[in-house]
Amino acid sequence: MRKTADVVIIGAGISGLAIGVHLAKKGVKDIVILEKTFPGNGATGRCGAGIRMQWGVELNCLLSKFSVEYFENVNEILKNDVDVEFWQGGYLIGAKDELEAEQFRKNVTLQNSLGIESSYLSPEEAKDMMPHLDVSHIKAATFCGRDGHLNPFKTVEAFVKAAMDLGIDIEKNTIVTGIEKTGGRVSGVKTDKGDIKAPIVVNAAGGWSKQMAELAGADLPVYSRRHQILVTEPVEPLQSAMFMGFGLNIYIQQVPHGPFIMGRGDADEPTDLRMTSSWKFLNDMAETVTTLMPRLARLKVVRQWAGLYNMTSDAQPIYDEAPEAKGFYHACGFSGHGFMLAPATGQLMSELILGETPSIDISSLGIDRFKGDMLLPLESSVV
Amino acid sequence: MNRIEHHPILTFPEKRTLTFYFDGKALSGKEGDTIASALHAAGVRVLGHHFKSHRPRGFYCAIGNCSSCLMVVNGVPNVRVCVEQLEEGMDVRSQNDKGVLP
Repeated sequence: MRKTADVVIIGAGISGLAIGVHLAKKGVKDIVILEKTFPGNGATGRCGAGIRMQWGVELNCLLSKFSVEYFENVNEILKNDVDVEFWQGGYLIGAKDELEAEQFRKNVTLQNSLGIESSYLSPEEAKDMMPHLDVSHIKAATFCGRDGHLNPFKTVEAFVKAAMDLGIDIEKNTIVTGIEKTGGRVSGVKTDKGDIKAPIVVNAAGGWSKQMAELAGADLPVYSRRHQILVTEPVEPLQSAMFMGFGLNIYIQQVPHGPFIMGRGDADEPTDLRMTSSWKFLNDMAETVTTLMPRLARLKVVRQWAGLYNMTSDAQPIYDEAPEAKGFYHACGFSGHGFMLAPATGQLMSELILGETPSIDISSLGIDRFKGDMLLPLESSVV
Repeated sequence: MNRIEHHPILTFPEKRTLTFYFDGKALSGKEGDTIASALHAAGVRVLGHHFKSHRPRGFYCAIGNCSSCLMVVNGVPNVRVCVEQLEEGMDVRSQNDKGVLP
């Protein structure tokens, strides 16, 4: 392992990889990404890898729009030919009640004003789009055909390849044990494999970002909650769009080779970094999905697992330099959307770190917003 | 016939005959059979074809683990016939794709 680096990134999930790749593309040499297991083993490889532009607050719309356009051209941008399996079958989002339907009307107006081609649908129109959905459980729906999902493993592979082509070192099985500071500035990282001196350290540790911040004496107002997900046996194509409901607490997609993947979180669970699977999830999810989509009742579940959402109180990310340690940057608190925001994260964090003007104004995503009453409007469009 | 009728230790009491259909053809099995054991006894060795390689698939693990014996039973795809009990009049069909949900 190198003894010195220009930038050390903690975490080889999709966010850390994207930040590394974008810094390297801008000419930064000597970048090291530290990963406690292997790339994508955290939330990145455990997520549904959905990507949608249908949000309720402007900034999330802009960030995800950036990401959709990026993923549409990902091979050109990353200069490799890994097929990330970007399936743009759209997202159909169902409103559980009138309150949600009202919010969806506002969301579509906002999205359309930002150039996102989404539409508001009646339950009957939703039924035409997804015949196996029992629309008696929804009051309305919205749809955007450019939304979709990717294969998270192939996407990690594409970013790892790009990182290696750009000369980035990815240190696997390396645990960060300390972050060194000199006179209020970060000066290096200690690991179980040796120490690295570096003037810039990026916290892209996802579910463990709070613990990494603590090593630098920095306070990070985030917590991590387990979300669970399951996969079924493959069947012939039935569902092209991803279906999602916020009040219904479900997202469900059929991936290109046939299996259905569906997931949710449980707000009543403790937030203690657990990543185990529960019987309750299997039971609750089976009940929800067979109510919404009775045709899926005969599908057999193959596997279930869990990953961590790194949550902020307004469900929007933190892109900022830590006030307690100059040169220590946070890219975390993605609240379940780190995968889809990763291209924007890579671009914007590289600009922030290099002192360039960000492509999208992210001044409101600073860490100061949690100290006073500067909180952003809560993003309600979250599963 | 592929059924053991005489055994030095075990005895096999006579069971009721059940009629079922394999790809539309009437076959008979015994009460207590799984679908796979009835097919095997009737001499059927190819249960379906792999959706991708199109190679024949047969009776393999016999305990519901291996996915080799997935068939369409009464219109439901991906049924593991090695652990599914035979019933009178069942419509059993070989499966050559990933299965279309009814």
